Amino acid sequence: MTAEYPVAPRIVAPPVWQIGKALLAERRLQQLRPVILPALTAAAVLLAWQIVVTALRVPAVILPPPVEIAHELWRVLPALLHHAVPTTLDSVMAFFTASALGIGLAIVITYSPFVRDMLYPNLVLFQLIPKVALAPLFVVWLGISSESRVAFATFVSFFPVVISAVVGFANIEASAMRLCRSLTATEWQSFVMVRFPFALPAIFSGMKIAMTMAVIGVIIGEFISAKAGLGFYILYASSRMETAVIFAALLVLCVIGVALFGAVALAEGLVRRSYGRR
Amino acid sequence: MRVGEEERYVEVAEVRKVYRSGTAEAIEAVSSVSFTVARGQFVAVLGPSGCGKSTLLMMVGGLEAVTAGRITIGGEPMTGPRTSIGIMFQDATLLPWKSAYDNVLFPIRVLKRPLASYRDGARQLLERVGLDGFMHKKPHELSGGMRQRVAICRALVYDPELLLMDEPFSALDAITRDEMNELLLDLWQQYTKTALFVTHSIREAVFLADRVLVMTRRPATIVEDLTIPFARPRPMAIGESREFNEICGHLRKRIEEGHYRERGSRFEASMARKELVG
Repeated sequence: MTAEYPVAPRIVAPPVWQIGKALLAERRLQQLRPVILPALTAAAVLLAWQIVVTALRVPAVILPPPVEIAHELWRVLPALLHHAVPTTLDSVMAFFTASALGIGLAIVITYSPFVRDMLYPNLVLFQLIPKVALAPLFVVWLGISSESRVAFATFVSFFPVVISAVVGFANIEASAMRLCRSLTATEWQSFVMVRFPFALPAIFSGMKIAMTMAVIGVIIGEFISAKAGLGFYILYASSRMETAVIFAALLVLCVIGVALFGAVALAEGLVRRSYGRR
Repeated sequence: MRVGEEERYVEVAEVRKVYRSGTAEAIEAVSSVSFTVARGQFVAVLGPSGCGKSTLLMMVGGLEAVTAGRITIGGEPMTGPRTSIGIMFQDATLLPWKSAYDNVLFPIRVLKRPLASYRDGARQLLERVGLDGFMHKKPHELSGGMRQRVAICRALVYDPELLLMDEPFSALDAITRDEMNELLLDLWQQYTKTALFVTHSIREAVFLADRVLVMTRRPATIVEDLTIPFARPRPMAIGESREFNEICGHLRKRIEEGHYRERGSRFEASMARKELVG
């Protein structure tokens, strides 16, 4: 009997360039994953929303399907853009005021132990109050003007800046301050040349929170007292039961929020290029 | 300058430092230390960790106040940091967002001297310590030894008369440390500064210094003032000579005596307590 040797199947290797191509495609997919995955998820949710709402015949007043929202968005876009202007301007204004005031107060707190002991515990406590509840007070004090809303939004977004800046100024490396002292640097010099740059990451993280808080503050102000702005427009659409329009306004608001936050993050990136630790 | 002032350029007279923190027992960090350093001399203060030698150095540099006694430099009593003193700390203390070159120029900016007239000096110093290729690197791109080299350059760039060094190489590995010692001697010979060097390494002290002061922990004072007989320049190889090792042996014995005394006193104290209880 002759032994039968198993014959190894012939493996046909794909041409080398195809392997390379496949690997490259795979790697590109991996790189794009952080973009593709959330986008796909969002698309899936929208699709499910559309299907469920249509299948269950949910009234459009309760929950309009995405397609209708898109349609409405296109119809009322000019009005939305018109109302987006005051909302955006007031938010930016409140953000800058809150940042300037917050950093200023943090400097005073850092250099005056008296002011720190006097204010800081109260600031931290105040942080815990739902400040939104104070919005009607601002109407009582400052009326229903745009300034009143900017003041309220400033008030809301000011706390994260102070607190993170105080922490940033305090967390400076002791050895760096000792170096300044040994070089007979003045307080001002040590602040500008060392303490402030060291605190920049903390200050920016406070400012990023402040930016989102400022938009929230302005919208709430507009809910209470305004004749223009996206907050006003949402309330108006709500009174007319135009749910799809509300969603369209929310979408525009979302874009504004992302753009403003992105601008602060971009500024942070630019500053870090010259003052980054790495 | 009056006669004798060259011999007593640095004069430390019965200096004492006591830390009091709240209700806790006062801690005597330095108890009655006296010594002088002649202009141009390299003196090492040698002692175990926690013996108060760093505190002593910081008092000489004007960064810590004396509790009692007097320190004069160049005939003038110390009241605070001075620009005629350069200090090297245990860690390099570089500003993380500045390049090596800009870190070296940092004192010039603080002292508001004309930058233009120090640029060449800074560059030469960096070349001298072998960092010509790393001038525009940030601290995180440099090794530990390189960072300390930048710190040496920074301490020398504004041409101080007195160089104070607080265990500047203690965080480096043994091989890098030897390199740094050689480099420091080289630089010191070229720039001939008066130098006070704090270390817990016996060999480092003997290799570098004209005189070694031995400090013990309890009491935190100087128990030995030894002149090192080796001529300069000193090659690394003297570390293998018999005389070098005999000196090291002698110093080690003096340090150990300090330890025994400390242990002895603790033992006596515990005996006394037992007697009280018994």
